[in-house]
Parts: sequence; C-alpha cells; structure tokens
Amino acid sequence: MSAVLPVPLVQVLQPLTVLVAAPGLSGAIAKAEARMQGRRGPRVLQPYYDLAKLFGKESLAPEGASRFFLLAPVIAMTCYLTVPLLIPVLTSFGLPLGYMGDIIGGGFLLSLASFCVAVAAAETGAPYAQLGASRSKTFGAITEPVVLFVVFTVALVTTTDLPYAQAATVRSSADQIIRPAHLLASAALFLVILYETARIPVETHTGTNEFGMIEEARALEHSGPYFALLKWGSACKQLILYTILIDVFLAPWGLASGTSAGPVALAVLALLGKALVLGLVVAVIDNTFAKLRLFKITEFVSAAFLLAVLAVFTLYLGGG
Amino acid sequence: MPVPLAADSAPTTFEGATNTVAVLLLLTEFAMLRATLSRSQVRLYAVQSLLVSGLAAIVAADRELPELYALAAVSLALKVIAVPWVITRLLRDAGAEIAGSGAIGAASATLLSLALAGVGFFAVGSLDISSPYLPQAALGLSMSIVLVAFVLMIVRRDVVSQAVGFFSLENGVSLASLVVAAGMPLIIEVAFLFDLLVAVVVFGVLMRVHHHRTSSLSTASLTSLRG
Repeated sequence: MSAVLPVPLVQVLQPLTVLVAAPGLSGAIAKAEARMQGRRGPRVLQPYYDLAKLFGKESLAPEGASRFFLLAPVIAMTCYLTVPLLIPVLTSFGLPLGYMGDIIGGGFLLSLASFCVAVAAAETGAPYAQLGASRSKTFGAITEPVVLFVVFTVALVTTTDLPYAQAATVRSSADQIIRPAHLLASAALFLVILYETARIPVETHTGTNEFGMIEEARALEHSGPYFALLKWGSACKQLILYTILIDVFLAPWGLASGTSAGPVALAVLALLGKALVLGLVVAVIDNTFAKLRLFKITEFVSAAFLLAVLAVFTLYLGGG
Repeated sequence: MPVPLAADSAPTTFEGATNTVAVLLLLTEFAMLRATLSRSQVRLYAVQSLLVSGLAAIVAADRELPELYALAAVSLALKVIAVPWVITRLLRDAGAEIAGSGAIGAASATLLSLALAGVGFFAVGSLDISSPYLPQAALGLSMSIVLVAFVLMIVRRDVVSQAVGFFSLENGVSLASLVVAAGMPLIIEVAFLFDLLVAVVVFGVLMRVHHHRTSSLSTASLTSLRG
C-alpha cells in the first residue's frame, strides 16, 4: 500500500499539475500539428524555453497606461489557478475547497480573468490590442448563453450544478452517456472550448496576422515577465477547459478515489494522457478546417447554441 | 409541462440510443439549412434517410417487428440511393453548383428554426401521446423536423433546396409514423414511400422545366409575372 498524502497537499497538487503541465500540452499540440503538415515542428518543451526567456527580459508599459496594465496578468493567473480547486482534476470527490464554487463559479473566475486582460489591453491605446479586447468581449457575449445552457443541462440531469456530481452521474452507468442531452451538451461545450482556446475554425493559434486575431491580439503590448504570465495563463486556461470537458463530461475515469500517493500519481498521468488525446483531436481539426471569416463566427456559435438548447429541450420531455 | 427527470431515472439505453438518432435527424435538417452547395444538401438528405432506415431497423430488432426490416430495406433503396442519385443527375445536367442564398443569414435562420423547433417539440410533447415502440421525445423531434423543413423551403430561393426540404419533410413524417404506428401494416408505409417517388418525379420535371426556361435554378425570376 502506498502512503496516504495529506489532503491539503493533494489540494495544492491540483493547480500545480495544471500550472506545470499546461505549456507542455501546448507544445505537444503544436508538435502534432506540425507533424501533420509535414514539418518537423518545435520541440515539445519549446513553450517552457519561451517562458524562461520571457521571464529574463525587461518589461515595458506603454505611456499613460495605469498600474492595472501590469496587475492584470497577475490577477488573470490567480483566477486560472483558482479554478482547478473547484473541478475534478485529480480526485473524484471534492476536496475541502472543492465546494466553494460550482460550475458557474468556475465560469465567473474564467470570465473575470478574461475581463482583466481585456481591460489591460484597452489601457494601452494600441489599436491591435484594443481590437482583440473588443472582439473577444463581443464574441464572449454570444458564447456565454451556450455555456449557460450547458450548465442548465447539468442542473437538470443532476439537480445540482456541481462538476463532481455530473462526473459521478456519467460514471454511474452507460445509460447516462448515451442519452442525447449528455452528448449534445458535451458537443456544445467542445465547440465553446475551440472558441475559448483560440483554435481553428475561430482563430489561427500561431498566426502572426493581426487582423485575424481575437484572443492572441490582447497581449501584444505586454512584454517580459508580464507577457510570460499571460502566455502561461492562456496555456493554463486551455488545460483547465480540457479538464472540465474530459473529467466532467467525456471520460471522468482514472481519477483518484482517495488520497493515497499511488492513485493520485496515476490520476496525474491519466489526466495528461486524456488531455493529450483531446489535444490530438484539436490538432486534427486545426489541420482539417479553414479559419472562418470574422463575421461567420456567429454561425459557428449559433451551431453550438443549437446543440446546447436541444440538450435542454430533450430533457424537458423526459427523453434526454 | 412535465417535471424534468432527476438523476436517478435516466432513460434506458434503448430510449437513449433512439432519441440520439432522432436528434441526429433534426441536426441533419439544420445542416441542410446551413449547406451552401446543392450537392452537399442532397448528400445530407441521403444521410438523414440512412438514419431513418437505421432507426427503423433498431426498432425492428428491439421491439420484434420483422416487417419493419422490410420497410428499412425499401427506404434504404429508395431514399438513400435512388432519390439522391436522381437529383444528383439532374444537378449535373443543370450544371449549377451553388445553392441559392437564403432570404436571411445562416445564424438568424438557425435561431428562427430553433424557436420553431421548440414550438413543435413542446406542442406535440404536451399532447401526452405515448407509444409502445419509441420514446415520446422522438415524436416531438419529428414535429421539429417537419417545421425546420418548412423553414428550409421558405428561406431558400432555389428549386433544389425546396425539393430537398420537401423530401426531408417526408423523413420527419416517417419518424413520426415510427413512433405512433410502427406496427402499421407494411403496405401503407410502402404506399407513403411511393408517394415520395411521385413527388420526386414532379420536382424533377419542375427543376428541368425551370432550368430550361430561366437557365438557372433560382426562384428569384418567378417573382415577376411577365416573362
């Protein structure tokens, strides 16, 4: 039998796993994408080197920007590291701090982070950063209803809105997986995640063309450690969203049911494995579809909205 | 409105699977609304018909109604292979690739049809018709398919979309008949299918004549009375 870890340690391990693994996931997706295009691609560890380089650089703020410009990346990172406390990252049951917020609470934290980054971008007075901020808020306003309907689905299925309850429901039987409400809500959430993580068909993740940028453009004016925090933060956000999709909806298996060292270590590996598989799927999508024109993004979001609303519809007639 | 089910009473696997297929039927209908090429509309129609045939086969297997296998086979031969083949040939002769644009944008059309689908879904759902063959939600979904097919026929301004909308409306009716009358004598169901064939012939002639007269598949030229 392996040693039982103290609960606070497991609690700290949740954000720590996300923090450490997130850049690696981005690197792995970039590598997979490059291989599919016949390129050799950057090293999987390249994001870590990038972060190390940026942390060693000087940082500058635009003239006239207030203190909030420099504070925003720190607030955003804090938000991103709070969310893993609320969702099933390593354990299948809620740790002491796990019930301080539900799915909506997690959503609020993620939007707070995005709001701070947008305000910081608006502070700069630089056209591209402001463009990115305004676009991300505009499209954020239309993806929000989709997320809400996904939460409604969870609420109707589990009569709570706790991510742990939803994961337990999915684990309970095959009937819970094959029901249309679950499949539709998962698909809708996946589409929202494609938008939130700035992937094709919404945005080119590695593009350098400012006109097509949404999320990426917001950080253009930051530099040095602050820019590193923003990049790291968006990598964390990606892994957090993948974790929500995987461990709450698609495959909540492999989580530790206790705090023994063995199962917790296995849970870390399982999470990374599942996130890699999902990342591979995203890489395939990145290579298969073209980026949508900016004004076609509403059509993409309306498709996600359709799925989420149908999920709630089917639940109301008792057939979902 | 019925109270939503709590976690302890999830639908059975059969109900879940059939409802999922019914939802996929509705989603293909929405995809037709969004499709920009006539060819992809016809392909989506073939997929939708395949789903209907598959659903008939599932019901036949689970509820032990062997005559539904025959229906699935006939509908497979007609709606998945014959009808799409005929329309594709007509399209090839016409040489038109791009379907007419909708009267409203794709996102607005989706939202409008979603609202209509909701009306159909809840209107039929509140009738409280229960069936021994398929769960009740499938009946509501079939009504939604019919209404969305109407939207497809109304907002699109080309003959092919309108024909495909009409044919897919028949798919919605097939789904409804699977729910309320899966045990109906086979001869009646087959008669429905041959009705569809008549519609295909009529629409085929219409497409040919229209293309011959206006050398386009768009119905925009039909708005003025003088030729």
